[in-house]
Amino acid sequence: MLRAFAYQKPASVKAAAQAAARPGAHILAGGTDLLGCLRDGVFTADSVVSLSGLPALKGISANPRGGLRIGALTTLADVAGDARVQESYPVLAQAAASAASPQLRNQGTIGGNLCQRPRCWYYRGDFHCLRKGGDTCFAVGGENEYHCIFGGAPCFIVHPSDTAPALLALDARLSITGPRGSRTIPLSSFFVLPEKNVRAENILAAGEVITEILLGPPQTGARSLYRKVRDRGAFDFALAGAAVVVVMSDGKVSAARIVLSGVAPAPWRVPEAENLLAGRPLDAGAISQAAAAAVKGAFPLSKNEYKIALVRGILEETLASLA
Amino acid sequence: MAETTPKPWGETTVVGKPLPRVDAYERVSGTAVYTLDLLLPDMLHAATLRCPHPHARVKKVDFAKALKMPGVRAVLSDADPEANIPWHSGPGGKPASRLFDSHCRHEGEEVAVVAAESPQQAWDAVRAIQVEYETLPFVVSMEEALKPGAPAVQEGGNLGSKPNVYSRGDVDKGFAEADALIEETFTTSCEIQSPMETFVSVARWDGDNLMVWDSSQGPFAVQSGLARLLDMPLNKVRVISQFMGGGFGSKLDLSKHTVIAALLARKTARPVKLALSREESFLCVGNRPAHTMTLKAGVKKDGTLTALQLTGTGEVGAYPGSTTVGGQVMELYSCPNVRTEETSALINAGQNRPMRAPGYVQCSWALEQVLDALAEKIGMDPVDLRIKNFIAVHQAQKGLPYTSAGLRECLMEGAKAFGWKEARARARGNGTWLRGVGVAGCLWGYAGGPPSTVIVGLNADGSVILNMGAADIGTGTKTVMAMIVAEELGVPLDRIRIEHADTGTTLYSAPSGGSKTVPSDSPAVRAAALDLKSKLLELAAEQLKTPVESLELRGGEISARGGSQKVAIGNLAALRQQQALVGVGKRAPNPTGKTARPFAAHFAEVEVNRYTGEIRVLRMVAAQDSGRVLNLLTYRNQVFGGLTMGIGFALTERRVMDQPTGKMANANWHDYKIPTAMDVPAELTCVPVDMHDHEWNNTSTKGIGEPATIPAAAAIANAFYHATGVRARSAPMTPSAVIGLLSQGKVKG
Repeated sequence: MLRAFAYQKPASVKAAAQAAARPGAHILAGGTDLLGCLRDGVFTADSVVSLSGLPALKGISANPRGGLRIGALTTLADVAGDARVQESYPVLAQAAASAASPQLRNQGTIGGNLCQRPRCWYYRGDFHCLRKGGDTCFAVGGENEYHCIFGGAPCFIVHPSDTAPALLALDARLSITGPRGSRTIPLSSFFVLPEKNVRAENILAAGEVITEILLGPPQTGARSLYRKVRDRGAFDFALAGAAVVVVMSDGKVSAARIVLSGVAPAPWRVPEAENLLAGRPLDAGAISQAAAAAVKGAFPLSKNEYKIALVRGILEETLASLA
Repeated sequence: MAETTPKPWGETTVVGKPLPRVDAYERVSGTAVYTLDLLLPDMLHAATLRCPHPHARVKKVDFAKALKMPGVRAVLSDADPEANIPWHSGPGGKPASRLFDSHCRHEGEEVAVVAAESPQQAWDAVRAIQVEYETLPFVVSMEEALKPGAPAVQEGGNLGSKPNVYSRGDVDKGFAEADALIEETFTTSCEIQSPMETFVSVARWDGDNLMVWDSSQGPFAVQSGLARLLDMPLNKVRVISQFMGGGFGSKLDLSKHTVIAALLARKTARPVKLALSREESFLCVGNRPAHTMTLKAGVKKDGTLTALQLTGTGEVGAYPGSTTVGGQVMELYSCPNVRTEETSALINAGQNRPMRAPGYVQCSWALEQVLDALAEKIGMDPVDLRIKNFIAVHQAQKGLPYTSAGLRECLMEGAKAFGWKEARARARGNGTWLRGVGVAGCLWGYAGGPPSTVIVGLNADGSVILNMGAADIGTGTKTVMAMIVAEELGVPLDRIRIEHADTGTTLYSAPSGGSKTVPSDSPAVRAAALDLKSKLLELAAEQLKTPVESLELRGGEISARGGSQKVAIGNLAALRQQQALVGVGKRAPNPTGKTARPFAAHFAEVEVNRYTGEIRVLRMVAAQDSGRVLNLLTYRNQVFGGLTMGIGFALTERRVMDQPTGKMANANWHDYKIPTAMDVPAELTCVPVDMHDHEWNNTSTKGIGEPATIPAAAAIANAFYHATGVRARSAPMTPSAVIGLLSQGKVKG
């Protein structure tokens, strides 16, 4: 049952940023995650700052310098269904389409998808864990089947977003407006690991709002896809997944981006695997070596060692299908 | 009252047709008022404070702050004398706890409730109650619970029951005679019933009369429970359970929240609604217990089963509940030597309750996989092995013959519809996705019986009132019962008003569960309609001055066979004068010296991704022998729902208890994964083996709800084996489990 909170609907991004900077304020975009968190008492809100009065943040348009500009309030359904996205950035269309359920994709926004809170059942449930200000990560020694194999400690969440790995594989940039102005950053510098900050999943400061996501022009010869493995066919987060972009030239990989989902507290790029593919045809040997390289350094907990085999399997399957 | 053994139907005009539900409009448009929707004038809303610990003693409860909060009207706890009501029993039936008990044996046990003007105010107040707990050692897995020195859930230890032993013949002799033996241990997970509508009761007192609206499968069970606990006569307790959003066995009997709502309503002199949130309903209103089963089986080369031996332990919650799974081992296949030995283990978790085919689904997971393994060992087709071991008598009841037993027909007609031989022979593939097909058979342990009393009334214009106690828990009960009335009286369905599931206006019916509503209540409905019909014909005979034997009722008119005399029901002078006519029907006893069971055989085709462990169910065929089909649409609905639940059991559903804290980790609909539309194949086929069981009851029916789900999961597991050559002994087969199996096993290429 929701507790009472104040509701605001500012008419400008600047006003929204100022309202959201106040202590106890939370930003409301699609609301599919925020309302669940408030209802479940994961955290509380004194005020909720709705972005629904900012239609300029919604929609997809061509970037004058090539590529696309995706407003942060564009729904996942609109991203998944956009012909330009499907044509030039299939990895993103597939990632957006694989999130949640049709109802949630119609309501949830791509900006919100990047900012959603982790789905760790200790964080979401009645457990006073590290991420909520407690002193224990219950996943260590607990039910950690769904937890991370990379980048954990002291907290072992996985980042829940499907679109984040796709956007990272596309070298996307984010425009952010805060109470003190605007900035544009590469998405690769957006996420933070628990070792740096165990209470947040990204660098947004109080009051900062993502306004748009910028994609560069599509590369010639690029092939991409997003593959997600989950316990059930819809309305589920990734056990593990991969956003893969390979640029082929003369039958060989000239550049590769592989970003994993469901295995780390942030979308997890595996440069060792990418490097192994560079300059080689996508043949069985290269694929197998890259898949093995991707899981080097994995640190499984007591119940999630399967994710190592799963990541390898996903990469073997997906790279072969891009060949 | 009518003769209760009328001739079975031959050709029918309404019964058996695929007709939409009589209440489809209300259900789809939202005008149907479910208990959760109910808003009464001056109604208060209650919220429950639940113990957050798996095992604790409540030392102190301080309501001071909560009572001062806006809108709060009352609290209720163990401190209130009227709440001193015994509730759970421990092993051996000894009283173990009260309605609110300071000794909380699982997360979610009730500590106190608050009634306030709004649900929000009630929840705010619950959060303001200060409780001091003494936490106690706990155990939340049966494996740990049965180890020496484990924390005791109940004073007597953690064994929920003495070993329950069944034996016939000599299993050792049987195993010695076998050409092939299999012995395997299987485990199944704890499932939560998860009805769409959560648990909710609304209580209102009018003087010393109590009225309760409850989302229940058994309004009469709730009525008698309340009457007993509150020391009231039945006539003063009225329980209504009309539109309700499912129960799957978890809503068969009285729940604590219903009693609490009644006590709060009395204390506040206001109507009170007490609804459980989804999260609460995961903790304390039932589950299908996890099970460990070791099954040993012997078979001769020709497929004759020589012995079956089951040892099983069910993981009940903190209070013992029924966990028997052995029924099908004793009854399904012909076998002279059978032994079952079953126990249960107590853990610090919510008590189990029946869940769609309790025990039978778990048993099927083990028995049907073992049958498959035996078939492989002797080189026999799995369908043929099952047909070979069909038996038409109930072996555990001294060879009592079945009035009908369609297992063979289910296997043969199902195999034909599925294209079994071709599918079984098809190459399994050596690419990313491996294909396989599997089969499993079942029977269900009940087929209904008395008591049930039904009234059918006639208005002066020829329209009808069907008055029956049975609840419609979403299965289409109202529709099929009205169709029986329409069949017998020749009135269209939209001229039948249905009064049901109201203990104030209808007569006793057993809770709707166990697939028993159709075979128990539909014969009473038919008897009542026939009683009314015979009275109507008598009135017409008098008016038309014709012998009653020569009259027939058709399309709202009574006419003499071969003659020209006829009269419309609305023109019967006597009826006009009386303005009403009534027929009463009673469920006749089941035949003596015989018994009945529904049977089924399910077939599944699956794909398994060798890289990722994902399983896709491609198609399923369910061949069902449930006696006569009353409505093909609602019948199919039951079957497709049953297959879907089987997919959940096989692939996705499990309660996860956090071992270090003893709390449930996945008490929500995201982390507890019931199948979505994407997990269910588009190709589901229902093959009704339409054997009319004329001997069993006057509608020739045996019940469909449970047998529609029992073998589904095992058929999927057998298909998985066919695809991979690896046996999945534990349910559910999630990708993580399958990756483990595939890496250990020798996947056939």
